[in-house]
Amino acid sequence: MLELKDFRVSVGGAEIIKGVNLIAPSGEVHAIMGPNGSGKSTLSYALAGREGYEASGVAKLDGQDLLALAPEERAHKGLFLSFQYPVELAGVPALTFLKAAFNAQRKGRGEKEMAAPEFLKLVRSKAEALKMPQEMLKRGLNAGFSGGEKKRMEALQLSLFQPKLAILDETDSGLDIDALKIVADAVNATRAPDRTMLVITHYQRLLDFIKPDRVHVLARGRIAASGGPELALELERSGYDRYLEAA
Amino acid sequence: MSLALPSRRDEAWKYSDLARALSGHDLSSVAPARGGSVIASMARAFAEEERVLTIASRDGVHAVEHSLSHEARGAVTRIHVPALQAGMVVETIYGHLNLAAGLSEIRIEEGGALTRIVIQQDAQKAVSAEEIAQVALNEARVSVAAGGTFRQFVIAEGAKLARIETHVALDGEGGEVELNGVYMVREGRHADLTSTVTHQAANARTKQLIKGVARKGGRGVFQGRIVVPRGAQGTDARQYHRAILLEDGAEIDAKPELEIYADDVSCAHGNAIGALDADQLFYARARGIPEAEARALLIEAFLIEAIPEDLPQRDDLITRVQRWLQT
Ligand SMILES: Nc1ncnc2c1ncn2[C@@H]1O[C@H](COP(=O)(O)OP(=O)(O)OP(=O)(O)O)[C@@H](O)[C@H]1O
Ligand SMILES: [Mg+2]
Repeated sequence: MLELKDFRVSVGGAEIIKGVNLIAPSGEVHAIMGPNGSGKSTLSYALAGREGYEASGVAKLDGQDLLALAPEERAHKGLFLSFQYPVELAGVPALTFLKAAFNAQRKGRGEKEMAAPEFLKLVRSKAEALKMPQEMLKRGLNAGFSGGEKKRMEALQLSLFQPKLAILDETDSGLDIDALKIVADAVNATRAPDRTMLVITHYQRLLDFIKPDRVHVLARGRIAASGGPELALELERSGYDRYLEAA
Repeated sequence: MSLALPSRRDEAWKYSDLARALSGHDLSSVAPARGGSVIASMARAFAEEERVLTIASRDGVHAVEHSLSHEARGAVTRIHVPALQAGMVVETIYGHLNLAAGLSEIRIEEGGALTRIVIQQDAQKAVSAEEIAQVALNEARVSVAAGGTFRQFVIAEGAKLARIETHVALDGEGGEVELNGVYMVREGRHADLTSTVTHQAANARTKQLIKGVARKGGRGVFQGRIVVPRGAQGTDARQYHRAILLEDGAEIDAKPELEIYADDVSCAHGNAIGALDADQLFYARARGIPEAEARALLIEAFLIEAIPEDLPQRDDLITRVQRWLQT
């Protein structure tokens, strides 16, 4: 369960997230929608612990205070952020990176590391489900990948790490129609009773595949409205104007 | 007449103050070699004999590897690569002497090929910045005849002062030079990679990629000069130096110089000194990789880009980089 109380984030002295209250119970998928620049990515980065994002208020994952933790510790506790703009790590083979991350998370939780052959098998099966060529795993992580390929690499990590809280920041951007379906299937496959998902998107199209339990509208750093899946359909029809006026 | 040591006032040594590094050393026995550099003079004065190495390819095809270790104060080696022969030398400069000077004179004849790997090792790992006394100097003078190839890879961990100089003359048409290297310096260490390549003939190629990192109190120096005189048409020269200052208090100085007098040439160069990429570091940490491990992963990837993929010693060299990162 993710719990935010009067959650605020300042970047470079400017307050971008201005007091967000949100409870997303385990087992649920919550969609966050909102106009460009409303603070969706800022909220995501702050929850992941990015430097320069000064957060205050309460942010708890399964009762654990996130704000006191380093980014890697948050990952060990089960937080996963799928980046809107995944970073390129030229020279770090994807497989090397995935194994390092996977075992670092295990170690951080006091679990045994997974041996190379077993891990290789696991990654291969996950990559296959996402229809990713095995050859991509040998290349530098995201280095020279297309926008859609990068998003698939993020989805691969989601299904590998099996997080407690998955924040998917515009997972759908850059994906072609077939890829959208494949990635959505992978996301749906990771839905679980002990898992919370925040799905950030601009489009109903993604929510047709990944049915949210709740939809929140983030406008000017605040949650301007919350509702059921029908809220997303209404936004598609009438846009954000009324929320921006109210915010 | 005794040897005059260059100091920062000398252009070629402005980032590496040899006079200061050698103050207290008795160099009265060193006579300046005629027409030779200060490193050559010392190497000749200290060397007990001149080693001569003639390269012959196995089966006329495969390069044979020779190891040259610089365990004495001075070493002078003549390496001769006859026409169409190919070979490889690995020179290791150990960190146990307070002063070591090496000189390699390399002659590559038509169509010959030599790969030279220089490994300059740090003194014992435990030696602190104050205690480190080693001055390691090395110079190679290389001539490459038509169609010849000289490939070099240097890995330097630095010393009180470590300078690896390479001077290549492309004397014949169509010669090829690759001068790559990696330097990585921790507190109290200074590594200087200095090179010149002179394109005396047409249609020759030079490529150079040097990568370096420095930690607090470490200093890296890159000086690279490529000269393309008027007659050297069809020259292709590429020179890149990229370095990362890993901590505050690290220092890296670079002086890339391309002097081009010919008009039909293709030349490119780049020089960038910066910090470790914060976005990359955050991405790795957000995936659960602890900061120190994430940094090591990124630095390793950065450095090993300069180690050519087809170098037979690539894995060993990567291990050296990893070991340095772990200490
Ligand atoms: N480092 C920064 N310094 C100053 N302002 C910033 C910084 N990062 C983000 N902002 C500002 O914060 C606001 C929110 O940005 P954010 O990226 O969170 O929006 P978003 O809702 O994710 O938008 P989009 O839908 O376009 O992805 C924007 O006005 C942006 O310009
Ligand atoms: Mg965004």
